[in-house]
Amino acid sequence: MAASRDEVIAPPSKASLRDDSRVASNGLTIDALVAQHYGFIWRVLRGLGLSSADAEDATQQVFMIAARKLDTIDPDRARSFVYGAALRVAHNARRGLRRRREVLEDELPEEPEPEARGPEKMAELDQARRLLAQVLDRLEEKHRRVIVLAEIEQLEVPEIAVLEGVPVGTAASRLRVAREKFRAALHAMRDQNPFGDEP
Amino acid sequence: MTPDPIDQLGARLFESARNEAIPSGAEQRALEAARLEVGQKPREIMHLSQGRTWLAAGACLALAATVALLLRPKDASVGISAEPSTLAHARPEPRTAPSAAPRSASSATSNDAPPVAPSLAVTVKPMPSLQPMPLPPAPASLSDELSALKVASSALSAGDPKAALAALDRYDRVLKGQKLRAEATLLKIEALSRAGQTQAASTLAQRFVEQNPGSPLVDRARSFVVQ
Repeated sequence: MAASRDEVIAPPSKASLRDDSRVASNGLTIDALVAQHYGFIWRVLRGLGLSSADAEDATQQVFMIAARKLDTIDPDRARSFVYGAALRVAHNARRGLRRRREVLEDELPEEPEPEARGPEKMAELDQARRLLAQVLDRLEEKHRRVIVLAEIEQLEVPEIAVLEGVPVGTAASRLRVAREKFRAALHAMRDQNPFGDEP
Repeated sequence: MTPDPIDQLGARLFESARNEAIPSGAEQRALEAARLEVGQKPREIMHLSQGRTWLAAGACLALAATVALLLRPKDASVGISAEPSTLAHARPEPRTAPSAAPRSASSATSNDAPPVAPSLAVTVKPMPSLQPMPLPPAPASLSDELSALKVASSALSAGDPKAALAALDRYDRVLKGQKLRAEATLLKIEALSRAGQTQAASTLAQRFVEQNPGSPLVDRARSFVVQ
């Protein structure tokens, strides 16, 4: 009959948390916000250089910030809000990571993905993501952001302009420059092509 | 016109990023943390992912145990075993015949605690600074509730169901815990059962089963129902 502590003290179940969902005065709910923007924020944070685990922690922080400020978020600009929060969280997270790297020198290997693919394909994808991160690391922050939004999130220039808080013309020219620089950086690292073909 | 190989490579890299799987359960964990944040003051412990949260919650255990000692009931028979001698001075109702009050079975584990001097126990009046702490005005956080239940669970594991019941009483009375209510009830059922109060355990278990038919803990609760 004796139960281990882990059996008895379980994390709060979904059912026990179900009633915690609240509707803000502007009609937003944190449930809807998470459902609509979780993947976007997680991928943006990955694109900004966080590891999978760090991106998870950072994304969680973003939505905790959003939860605290739910009443003040303009529902029409909810994505801009969480994007802005993600940039600030990423900035702080990367600053912490730099400090950590000074001590550890090498990053810990990331957990393998639960993808239903063969080991070779998974290794190839892993190398591809590492190469992408290295290429993106060579870009200026503003260029990196617009590349991530355009190429990973596949947003249009006007959407990028809204998120970045710049005129559409500025976003367009920034994206053009970003693509040129990305291409040049990738060309310099083409010998690391994980797909085996010759670029 | 043949596509540029560099552009092709770039496109494949971006595709690999687009198709990267989000860690399993990450969205749900973020949602739960955010929901808690809506109803509570921000707490640093919630800024961590699931595994790290449990580790951090463990760090709260020592503090929770100290609070549990300070808030323990006046009746020593349901107290937590490690009893600081200074607490005897704070008892509002001094014992008049300490030698006539045998230590209960549950306090057998408190042999290491220094004995209370009979003369002090009789004559010293309660010190205001050692009165039980006032109830916290804010709702208890998840980590507070978790800590209280860990105290109870540890007491059960140590074979001290009465100390577990005291900790669970604190969970009910002081923390007014809600977030881990089901887990607390199950612990109470088990503590009652181990304390020999099988009928009380059965009644509580029966009520739990009726009120929480969808709970993952219901099968465990049902095992305590006496037919």
